[in-house]
Amino acid sequence: MKPIVELRQVSKEYPLGKLVVNALRDVEMTIATGEFTTIAGPSGSGKTTLLNLLGCIDVPTRGTVLVDGQSTSDLDDRALTHLRLHKLGFIFQSFNLISVLTLFQNVEFPLLLQGGMTKAERTQRVLEMVERVDLTPQLTQRPNELSGGQRQRVAIARALVTRPRIVLADEPTANLDSATGQTIIELMKEINQSDQTTFLFSTHDPRVMERADRVILLKDGRIASLGVESEASDSSGQGAELGNV
Amino acid sequence: MNRLRIFLIIAFRNLIQARRRTLLLSVAIAAVTMLLVLLMSLSQGVNDNLIRSATTLSAGHVNVSGFFKATIGDAAPILDDRATIRTIVEQNTPGLDYVIDRQRGWVSAITPSGALQTGLAGIDIDDELHFPRVVQLALESAYREGGQDVVLGDVNKLREPNTAVIFEGQARRLGVTVGDAITFRSQTYRGITNTVDATVVAVARDIGLLSNFTIFVPKQTVLELYQLSDKTTGGVLIYLKDIKKAEETMGHLRQVFEERGYDLMDHQPEPFFAKFNSVAGEDWTGQKIDMTTWEDEVSFLTWILTALDTISFFLITILAIIIAIGIMNTMWISVRERTRELGTVRAMGMTRRDVLLLFMLEATMLGAFASLVGGLFGAALASAISAATIPIPLEAVRAILLSDTLHLAVNIQHLVLSILAMTLVTGLSALWPSSRAARLQPVQAMQNT
Ligand SMILES: Nc1ncnc2c1ncn2[C@@H]1O[C@H](COP(=O)(O)OP(=O)(O)OP(=O)(O)O)[C@@H](O)[C@H]1O
Ligand SMILES: [Mg+2]
Repeated sequence: MKPIVELRQVSKEYPLGKLVVNALRDVEMTIATGEFTTIAGPSGSGKTTLLNLLGCIDVPTRGTVLVDGQSTSDLDDRALTHLRLHKLGFIFQSFNLISVLTLFQNVEFPLLLQGGMTKAERTQRVLEMVERVDLTPQLTQRPNELSGGQRQRVAIARALVTRPRIVLADEPTANLDSATGQTIIELMKEINQSDQTTFLFSTHDPRVMERADRVILLKDGRIASLGVESEASDSSGQGAELGNV
Repeated sequence: MNRLRIFLIIAFRNLIQARRRTLLLSVAIAAVTMLLVLLMSLSQGVNDNLIRSATTLSAGHVNVSGFFKATIGDAAPILDDRATIRTIVEQNTPGLDYVIDRQRGWVSAITPSGALQTGLAGIDIDDELHFPRVVQLALESAYREGGQDVVLGDVNKLREPNTAVIFEGQARRLGVTVGDAITFRSQTYRGITNTVDATVVAVARDIGLLSNFTIFVPKQTVLELYQLSDKTTGGVLIYLKDIKKAEETMGHLRQVFEERGYDLMDHQPEPFFAKFNSVAGEDWTGQKIDMTTWEDEVSFLTWILTALDTISFFLITILAIIIAIGIMNTMWISVRERTRELGTVRAMGMTRRDVLLLFMLEATMLGAFASLVGGLFGAALASAISAATIPIPLEAVRAILLSDTLHLAVNIQHLVLSILAMTLVTGLSALWPSSRAARLQPVQAMQNT
């Protein structure tokens, strides 16, 4: 399949006083369209850093990050913002919904940022998405009236409503109990399979890892294992192994 | 458009959510706007008083007067050929309401119990439209120890020869009441000291500082005192339909008089009594016309307005700076509190411009609402104060504010301007924190979880 994301010799360094933290070192990887991939690794191994680079909210110190064929280092803030708006979707660990907006308005928000749709088109798109995450009865509620699992489902609807090429999620289940976390991953997986949307998410949870088609393992900013590309692999063994990390 | 709507919703709900903060800022902004409106109303009120007292007591909107010099050292504030000058004015003034002419003098007013220096205005009460309408008579108790709470006398008695209408402050100083006599003493323009006696026929309520310097008498009294013919005049007072056209009309009439061969003095924005010395020093003889506007005639009082406006300006500026600092501080806290939300929307693809817009909307909304409430409240308060005709207790303050009751005049233009200005102050104060918010990198914003 056609690669949607490519990393070539990517390094990311953070200045830390007089020192330099090498958060990522010479990372090479390719993600194909439609993959359902998780990024695993111990705390501090560079998972968030990697997702930030893929999500175009940060650029590498060295090397090239290609998102849908475009090198992010060549783009300015405006162009990166545009790219994020039109090609990417984000799901966050702490849901990060806009607290003053209702469920409906939260999901509608990215469409409003994009512009170019009639109210009827938008409403239809939003209702469709909300139906898929099974929250239609809660349409007019505010985030603080929803449970954690419900909030993350709103976040999924919000990330997907623009029909992005890739959805990025940094530990989307970390703030949920394990059963709810499971259902969230199930939901993501289901959307991945029906819409061919590419999903990339990081996690610490071995049971979540099990659900991924592919597990990329990071250690000290380096790729320890790339997993099996583009195929739903039997990753139970690997998942069990990572469970001890 | 839809985007703007959701931004407005977010801004509005954020304001509601931060209830305490919003309320505190609103009250501060509203209070300053209210003060601004009150001060502007006071200034406008004093301006009204100034116009009212000037155009009642000493000047028309435009005035044609002048000086006659028999010898180089002389300066008599009289013009020959009253009738011709009046006719020229009547026929050549666009937007004319009406014309009157008066005689002028500067005299000692003497009674058995007091004396004072005052201007004398010789009028034809039947010719005067403004004066009898505006002047209100005072209760006797206001100017006389043990006086009754009744109004004595009648302004229209000025039709009779050797009568006088004085103001309550003058009545107190001269120790007279209606029916008493005053002696006016002055020098004729031939240098002979002359006196005339007049009977007080009415005592009017003070109209600010100027009423200390004006006593109204029939024209004949002035002519007699100065031994003048009734062909002369002290000045032709022109009242226009629109007082704002005074300057323009004066310019036009100067041309008219020049074309008819009259000599004109250069325009000097001062009242006639301030010009005696300089005119007496000029080396010409004969007659020159001097034209002024009402503002020129009270230029010695406009410092009051200038002072009032200056004090207001500094007061409001200081308060506005305090407000601005408050807004910046509050917005800054708000930006910090919402760093994660900002990072989220930036990651989702919200542009920097939109983040700036969002924060500016929030501040401007607050500013517009609070200053609208404050402005309207201030206007209502000003109207109420004015309607209550609250007496001003201090003589000095009465003199400065040119009125014996507190007069605040709300000017719609000033009101709108105050509201807009305070909204602008709020918006501008929010600019810096908002642009800081817009410049936040999404990564930085996200790390702040
Ligand atoms: N802004 C920063 N400044 C300095 N060092 C940073 C910064 N962000 C991350 N790092 C460092 O880079 C390394 C990788 O961090 P990263 O957040 O990517 O790890 P992670 O795998 O997401 O960890 P966790 O599982 O705890 O979320 C760590 O050593 C971290 O301390
Ligand atoms: Mg992380």
